[in-house]
Amino acid sequence: MTAVRLMLRRHRLMIISWSVLLIVLSAVTPSSYQSTYRTPAQRLTAVELARHNPATTLLYGRLSGSGTPASMYVWEVGAIAGVLVAIMAVLLAVALTRAAEDDGTLELLLSCGVGRRVPLLGAFAVLGIVAAGLTVGCTAGAGLATGRVDGVTWPGAVAFGSVTGMTFLVFGALTLVLAQVAGTARGAHVLGFAVFGIAFAVRAVADERNAGWPDWLSPLGLRATVRPFTGDRWWVLAIHVAVALALAGLAVLLSDRREYGAGLVPPREPGDTRLNIRTGFGLTARLSRRSVLAWTVAVACVGTLFSAMGSGVVRQSRSGDLGGFLGAQLGSGDPVAAYFAYSGTVVGMAVAAFAVLTVLQARHDEVTGLTGHALATGVRRWEPLVWNVAAAGAGSAVILVATGALSAVIAPPVIGGTHAAVRAFAYSAGQWPAAMACAGWTTLLIGVRPRWAWLAWAPVVAGGGLALLGRLLGVPRGVQRLGVFQHVPDLGAASPDLRALGLLLLVSGAACLLGVAGMARRDLAGG
Amino acid sequence: MNDDPAIDVTGLVKRFGGFTAVSDLDLRVRTGEVHGFLGPNGAGKSTTIRVLLGFYRATAGRVRVLGLDPARHAAQVNRHISYVPGDVALWPNLTGQEVLDALAGLRGTRDPAAERRLIAEFALNPRKPVRTYSKGNRQKVILIAALAAPTRMLVLDEPTSGLDPLMEEVFRRCVREAADAGRTVLLSSHILAEVEALCESVTIIKDGRLVEHGRLEDMRHIAASEVTARVPAEQVAALAERLRPIGLTVTGPDVHLSVPRQRVRDVLGVLAAFEASDITCTPARLEDLFLRHYEVASR
Repeated sequence: MTAVRLMLRRHRLMIISWSVLLIVLSAVTPSSYQSTYRTPAQRLTAVELARHNPATTLLYGRLSGSGTPASMYVWEVGAIAGVLVAIMAVLLAVALTRAAEDDGTLELLLSCGVGRRVPLLGAFAVLGIVAAGLTVGCTAGAGLATGRVDGVTWPGAVAFGSVTGMTFLVFGALTLVLAQVAGTARGAHVLGFAVFGIAFAVRAVADERNAGWPDWLSPLGLRATVRPFTGDRWWVLAIHVAVALALAGLAVLLSDRREYGAGLVPPREPGDTRLNIRTGFGLTARLSRRSVLAWTVAVACVGTLFSAMGSGVVRQSRSGDLGGFLGAQLGSGDPVAAYFAYSGTVVGMAVAAFAVLTVLQARHDEVTGLTGHALATGVRRWEPLVWNVAAAGAGSAVILVATGALSAVIAPPVIGGTHAAVRAFAYSAGQWPAAMACAGWTTLLIGVRPRWAWLAWAPVVAGGGLALLGRLLGVPRGVQRLGVFQHVPDLGAASPDLRALGLLLLVSGAACLLGVAGMARRDLAGG
Repeated sequence: MNDDPAIDVTGLVKRFGGFTAVSDLDLRVRTGEVHGFLGPNGAGKSTTIRVLLGFYRATAGRVRVLGLDPARHAAQVNRHISYVPGDVALWPNLTGQEVLDALAGLRGTRDPAAERRLIAEFALNPRKPVRTYSKGNRQKVILIAALAAPTRMLVLDEPTSGLDPLMEEVFRRCVREAADAGRTVLLSSHILAEVEALCESVTIIKDGRLVEHGRLEDMRHIAASEVTARVPAEQVAALAERLRPIGLTVTGPDVHLSVPRQRVRDVLGVLAAFEASDITCTPARLEDLFLRHYEVASR
């Protein structure tokens, strides 16, 4: 049990911040579904349209039940929560197992006389504890709306909370298996997110085809099979508990059959490669090449799919009865522009995450001593940070331009409307200043307050929250404008207002300069 | 070569918040010499080295490396320095050869022939990805990069902690070659035999303060030799009486004395006169110098 306590202690920040995010999400949103639609008739129209909309079906699945606010809440917030817990599960399961094996802390644990299987079983126990916490938290979050929001009941809330917790546990157990197959933490992440993509696709196919059976194959289909608030089919959860246990057993079995520190898949022998770089930026570009490529493919595909699926939403929005989460996203104004702006916001958030991660790499390199190697060759103190900022800028530009270009080719024929290609491109590419503002903030923290580097995520999380939930939750417009992601003007309009983007770039530039100046003045951390 | 010291530190103070890592330290390394830098764990060796490289800013004191202030001219200073840290982390997804390419590319100057020779001497397989290297192999990569770079000075911070004895020998040879080629070497180490074999002078620090410095030879002269012998039991009292004026005490037939170097001959004569057997005399080792200062509370 000491091993479990140690793991919980080591990863508590990650566990607590993700759990709080999910519990807050499930607690603050139910009442808005009650208040968004003024009359039951209005809501029923929206429900009817949502049932026949391919885009929302792709994203959230099929809307089941009679269309009470409770079922709409499970449909939309449940889908978002499902995606979030899946990502959290992959990250946490890899951190508990493969990452600890890579950095040698697992070896330390084993050398203390802990049994060979204990770390893996301990990791599963930690996942179970977190799943239980999520279940209780999300149950409480949803259940507190009982009586205030139509259709919300305590048993339904328990079903909702359990679905969230079990989705987490199944993805976590699945990742434990994948962590035995891959040879590195990075490889385990890639496999984990690939399986997440497959699970999402299977669920989306199930819902688009209106065939129920694939839902049983995907952990993300759990919501559709348990049906919180409408069906409350408890026994389905028992199947998933059994599946999670079986997966954990499989992980133990595989772990017994592999060498410590190696995966089941043998690594590729790199051979006689050389590195021809002349500048530090060349080195950073070489090191981040693969990650830029992966992000570009992922964001371009998902972003384009997202914008291409918008035809139904746009049509619905034109007839004026789009409500709920999506309705709040689009607001009033030109529906095509509004939809592209919305999908651009989602793309912008992903690219901002890339930019923050890329700049944070500078901090990681500093702590591990890689920056020390570079500085010892006679590179100036501030240069390594600048290389990473440049890599973040260039990388996010590549991702955004690729996404915008692909969307501009694929989306217009599907969606129609004026200036569709220009808008599809501009709403993606226009997120570059927002990504750079996040990168600038990160640079500032690293240069001036390196211990607070984790705060780098603040503008991404806050901006994303304001962009996605601000209108739904009735946040004042002035506060909403503080988010970084909602400033891209409509290039299809007569005179687009580019001032906000200019301001973002200005802020970004100033923050980068301050951060770099701070870096040049402070002591280097670590090796 | 000029007569200015390669490293000239006077009254260095480095504080982190309330913690004083180095206080009032002097360190002088002459150009072209191999200088040992000794001290127990946490004594402030690595902190001092990072100040020399300009990674840390000195809280107080005057620091000159190759004639320049590293706080203001870190890049210029480092261009002429090769640095090997004690805890070597490298880019995990590059191969050993790619790491060498990267470091040479950043530095802008390179000696490919020396690099090839060193790879062969250290028996490194440079085609493997860094993440599959052991600590010793990672250390070899960075040692090869440091030794092969055409620089005027080597700053080595416990560079051999992961090397096997064979490679340790290669390392010593390479350091001697570097010194013969006129490069200055600052070697921070825990392996006293290594320092004794390589260094002309040493600086010993403890708790961030200077405790001893100078040429190794001179320090040996100052230090006491160790003399042991066995005397017949009936002679003990007389021997004790005889040695008391020199400040040495004898308590039993097994004699164990720490004798100042200039008195060694007298004492050996006295022991012989008292029919002592099994007489041994060991000149001061660095170990003794070192251990004398090492009995400290951890901090």
